[in-house]
Amino acid sequence: MAEELNNDNRILSELFRTFFAKHWPVWIGGIILGMLNILLFMIKSPWGGSGGYNNWGENVYQAAGFLGLENVTPTNTSLYGMLNILIILGAFAGALFSKEFALRIPPVGELIKGFIGGGLMAIGATMGIGCTIGGFFSGIPALSGGAIFLTIGLFLGTLVALKYLFWEMENFPGFSTGKSRTLLAASEKTGGWQIWLGWIVIIVVFVMAYNYFGNGNAVMSWFVIIGLLMGLICQRSRFCIVASFRDPFMTGKSSSTVGVITGLLIGLIGFTIIKLFGVGAGDTALRAREMTWVFPHFWLRAPIGGFIFGLGMTIAGGCAVGALWRFGEGQVKLWAAVLGFLLISPISKKFIVPEFVDLLPHSLRYKNFMPDYIGYTWSVVIVLAILFIWYLFVKWNERTGKFSTY
Amino acid sequence: MVTKIDKTLDCKGLSCPMPMMKLAKTMKGMNSGEVLEMLGTDPGTKSDIPGWCEKSGNTLLEQNDLEGGVNRFVLKKK
Repeated sequence: MAEELNNDNRILSELFRTFFAKHWPVWIGGIILGMLNILLFMIKSPWGGSGGYNNWGENVYQAAGFLGLENVTPTNTSLYGMLNILIILGAFAGALFSKEFALRIPPVGELIKGFIGGGLMAIGATMGIGCTIGGFFSGIPALSGGAIFLTIGLFLGTLVALKYLFWEMENFPGFSTGKSRTLLAASEKTGGWQIWLGWIVIIVVFVMAYNYFGNGNAVMSWFVIIGLLMGLICQRSRFCIVASFRDPFMTGKSSSTVGVITGLLIGLIGFTIIKLFGVGAGDTALRAREMTWVFPHFWLRAPIGGFIFGLGMTIAGGCAVGALWRFGEGQVKLWAAVLGFLLISPISKKFIVPEFVDLLPHSLRYKNFMPDYIGYTWSVVIVLAILFIWYLFVKWNERTGKFSTY
Repeated sequence: MVTKIDKTLDCKGLSCPMPMMKLAKTMKGMNSGEVLEMLGTDPGTKSDIPGWCEKSGNTLLEQNDLEGGVNRFVLKKK
C-alpha cells in the first residue's frame, strides 16, 4: 500500500519535473502560444498587449484625476487589461513552480533604462497602432499589410537600440554596474514555499474564471484561463520577441527566432481559416471578421511606430509581453518598464498621436487587408515565403556568424 | 580539484541582454585557456550560456547554483 502510494507520488513528481525542472525549447512555446492565440480569436479577437497597458494607465490617471479622463473601462471588465494581469500571474506561477522566482533588483541605471524603454514602447504602440503582439504576432497571421511594415520598423528599431547598448557598455559601463539585490530566492533544498504559493495562484485564478463564468461573462472567464497559460508558457519557454529580432545580430543564436516563426506559422493557419470561413462571427458580418486586427496604419504609420517600439523594447529587454512575464518572475527592471509603458501610453494617445496623425495623409494610414488586393492564396504564400526566408537567414547566420557581433 | 579562476564577472541583478553582452565582451578580452567565473541572477542565462558556449567553442567547465538565487558559471576561453 505504502509502496503503491510512493510509486504514484513518483509518477506525479516526474510529471511535475517534466514541466518545471528545465526550460522548454522556445519552439514548443511558439506552437502552444500560436494555438492559444487562435482560441482567443475564435472566442473574441486575437492576442494584443499594448491595449491592456493603456487600459491600466487610463484607470490610474482617472483615479488620480489627471488628463480629465472619464468613463474609462474598469480593468476587471477590460478583456485585454485582464489578459495582461493574467500573463503576469501565469509567469509568476511558472517561476514559483520551478523555484525561479526572486526579486532581482538591478543597479539604478538599469531601472532608468527599463522605464524609458517602457515609455518608448508606449509611444511606439500608440503611434503605430499595435505592438509586437497585436501588430506583429497577431497582425501578420491576420494578413494585415500594415503588419509587414510594422515588422520592418521593429527590426530597424531593434538594430539601432542594440548599437546603443553596445556603445553604452563600452563608454558608460557604470550604467549597468553597481549595487544590486536579490531577495526571496529559493535553492534546491530551500524555498519549498514557492511551489505552495504557485498552487495558491492557480486556485485563485480558477476561482476568478469561475466567477466570471457564473456572472455570464464566459468570454472573460476564457481570457482569464488562456492568459494564465500564456504567462506560464512564456516563462517556461522564455518566449521573447526582442530576442527573436536581436539575437541573430548579437550572439547569433536562432532559437528565439525559430520559436516566434513557429508561433506565426500556427497563427497563420488558424487565422486564415477563421477569416475565410467567418468562424466565430456570430451576429457580426463576415467582413468585420476578415478585418479583425487589420489596423489603419498602412503603410507609413506602422513602421514609424514600430521603429520607436523596437528602440524601447530592446532598451527595456522585453516587449509588451516579455515585460509582463519577466515582471511575474521578479525581474524588477521590467517592473520599471511596465510602469513606464502604462504611465506614458494614455499621455501619448492624448497628446502625441493626434498631432502625429494630422501630419500623415490618409494614403499613409489606411487599413490594408492583403487578400483584398491579391487574394487569400497569394497573401498566405507571401507570408509563408517571408517566414521561410527569415528562417533560412537566421540558421545560415547562426552557422557562419556573418551578422552577429560575438 | 579546484579550478583556477583568472577573472570574475558580476552580473547579479542584471536582466537580459546585459549578462550575455558583458560575458561575450569579457571573454573577447581574455587569452586562450584562461578561466572566467560569471555570477548572475537572470534565469535566462541558465539556458543561454550553455548554448552560447556550444556555438562559440568556449568550454563551460562548471554550472551551479549558489545561495541567494545566484547562478555561477565557469567558462574556459577557447
